[in-house]
Amino acid sequence: MRSLRWNFSLRLRRSDESTVRFVRTLVVLSLLLCASNLLSQEQTQDRPKFEVDLSELQKEIDKVAAKPYSLGGFLEFQPTLLGIDRDSTFYRLKFPRRNQGSTFDQYNFRLRLEGAYKKDIFSVFFKTDTLVRNEFEGWDEDTKLFEAYASVKPSPSFILEAGKKVMKWGKGYAWNPVSFVARPKNPEDPEEALEGATVATADYIRSFDGPLKTATLTAAVVPVYPHVNAKSGELYHTNFASKLYLLAYDTDLDFMVFTGESRTTRYGFDFSKNLTTNFEIHGEFSVVNNFKSKFINETGRNFSTEREAISYLLGLRYLTEKETTYILEYYRDGTGLSRKQMTDFFSFADASYRNFVATGNKAGLVRAAKLAKGPYGNPNPMRDYLYFRVSQKEPFDVLYLTPALTAIINPNDGSFNVLPEITYSPLTNLELRLKGAILVGRSHTDFGEKQNDYRLELRLRYFFGL
Amino acid sequence: MKIALFALSVMLLFAQPALSLDGVAILKQVDKNLQPESFESYRKLINIEPNGAKREFLLYTLKKGNDKIASLFLSPASEKGRATLRLGDNMWLYIPNVGKPVRITSLQSVVGGVFNNADIMRLDYNMEYDVQNIVDEKNEYILDLKAKTTTVAYDKLKMWVDKKTVVPTKIECYAATGLLIKTLYFKERKPFDEGILRPSIIETDSPLYKGYQSILAYANVKKRIVPDEVFTLEFLAKIETIR
Repeated sequence: MRSLRWNFSLRLRRSDESTVRFVRTLVVLSLLLCASNLLSQEQTQDRPKFEVDLSELQKEIDKVAAKPYSLGGFLEFQPTLLGIDRDSTFYRLKFPRRNQGSTFDQYNFRLRLEGAYKKDIFSVFFKTDTLVRNEFEGWDEDTKLFEAYASVKPSPSFILEAGKKVMKWGKGYAWNPVSFVARPKNPEDPEEALEGATVATADYIRSFDGPLKTATLTAAVVPVYPHVNAKSGELYHTNFASKLYLLAYDTDLDFMVFTGESRTTRYGFDFSKNLTTNFEIHGEFSVVNNFKSKFINETGRNFSTEREAISYLLGLRYLTEKETTYILEYYRDGTGLSRKQMTDFFSFADASYRNFVATGNKAGLVRAAKLAKGPYGNPNPMRDYLYFRVSQKEPFDVLYLTPALTAIINPNDGSFNVLPEITYSPLTNLELRLKGAILVGRSHTDFGEKQNDYRLELRLRYFFGL
Repeated sequence: MKIALFALSVMLLFAQPALSLDGVAILKQVDKNLQPESFESYRKLINIEPNGAKREFLLYTLKKGNDKIASLFLSPASEKGRATLRLGDNMWLYIPNVGKPVRITSLQSVVGGVFNNADIMRLDYNMEYDVQNIVDEKNEYILDLKAKTTTVAYDKLKMWVDKKTVVPTKIECYAATGLLIKTLYFKERKPFDEGILRPSIIETDSPLYKGYQSILAYANVKKRIVPDEVFTLEFLAKIETIR
């Protein structure tokens, strides 16, 4: 989980104080929202019967059509309450002393800004993300340039782009083993924007009549240097990635490759197809050559292996007549850790913690904490996962309301994460999301050893545009 | 008597194909009168709730030939940049945050409300439906249409066509079970491309959404032929650049 990467200190508020502050914030926000919604309804009820004013529409279109630029984004406020599992491995690695409270409250303010400008065959685009956080440590701010690239389009068949951009490959909803260039997405929130990679790309697109309708070849240059994609592998190399997309027999097909000195060569394939008007299937397959896996045994001794890592994903999306959507995915991560490797890590961390408590020696604990920042601390570090999501569009005739329930299950150890949520848009450009997470698992299991037992967050987003 | 029976048999033999032929011709004329084969347009989609609250979406749309249509959301800010593409039976939705197109189905709705994806990305009726029956009323034809394949969103349509203008005034959309899903009303003919009069407003209501109403208003419908490559997944995120 993302929260595992936070650098918590030992200065924590008392848990009851955190909960009270969080609940108080929720109550104030709820009252404000109810008031704004009622006001909005009162205003609309006073209006005469709605009729389309075509001349007003024409004016609006003329204004939009003449504008070569756009600027917009959203403002977000997200209070979060985190329930801590004080006996979990990841909690102990972050907070070796046990005198903390059982809950944290956290208040995130976010500004996402994006803009574009076009002239003839040229266009530019940027997207920034600024996060201001208030928690027990005080205030913190982080601004990132998510995307900034220029595009030249001599014809709709040929597009050249250079800069920082997101290249999301793959058909999976929660995971994408074939996404060789983009950063991994968060399976708990897979639709969130990601920071891009600095690349130069060329797309060549052709359309045809017949069973093969579209073919697109994408080629990308991916430099890895100290200030450019520095975390994308070995430095001082330029790498190449390519993808061939085909729409054949009403099926999306992609074939991709990544090669270079920064990372070992990897190949991928994906597909997606609508079997009926309400049933879609998709899948991904990838091979990573000479994948180096580093792990420890229960005493902390280092091991490493090199192998071909084969990953795959199979999924479906089904929509019922009552507009309930089901998404189901099975993910086999060939680069993931085995059950034994994970259990050994937990055993080593436990032993290091006991040693620290008994002797005050932090050496083992520091090493385990360092390992937790690598593959052991990934959101989904092991080899097999199931993803299930059910969402209901506009139940009880309430427009723009979508309740959903998501489960991420580790079948290797039986642990799981359940995420109920309700998304609602009471006003144009205002979106609310109340989301929870309940992590369930025995000792020495994937979700059982995460830092949190539960999480509750309310997200308010107000979109704006110029 | 034998001659009369023979004549009747010949009439019956040819009666059905002749009716069917008329129906196909009328349906093709309906399609021609509703929108050009290839065009660009701006559309405003308005969802109205029982309490009068409304939400508006402005879309830019490109259509080419019988099986290609793409739309880009221009407003509100929360939807800006979303784009949809339809190639025959294939439909995709591009959401800027998600960063890649995902397959969607015709019965879903990308905007909520009464219109679904098949309504917003509608192809010509004669491409998706066969004429099963025609009733010749005083001022209108009533066409019973049956979906050509199971991949079409509505199994059956009942279409009221004005004889004088050969445009539909009302269409009822039915599921395979016979359930009335929604009714479309075509209103306010306006001169669009080359002065051709076409309905500029489509209203819809549904017994499944009692009290709710959705409206699609057309503006700036112009003939425009763009390369086929515009109707591809790679180009979906870049439609704004050719608007």
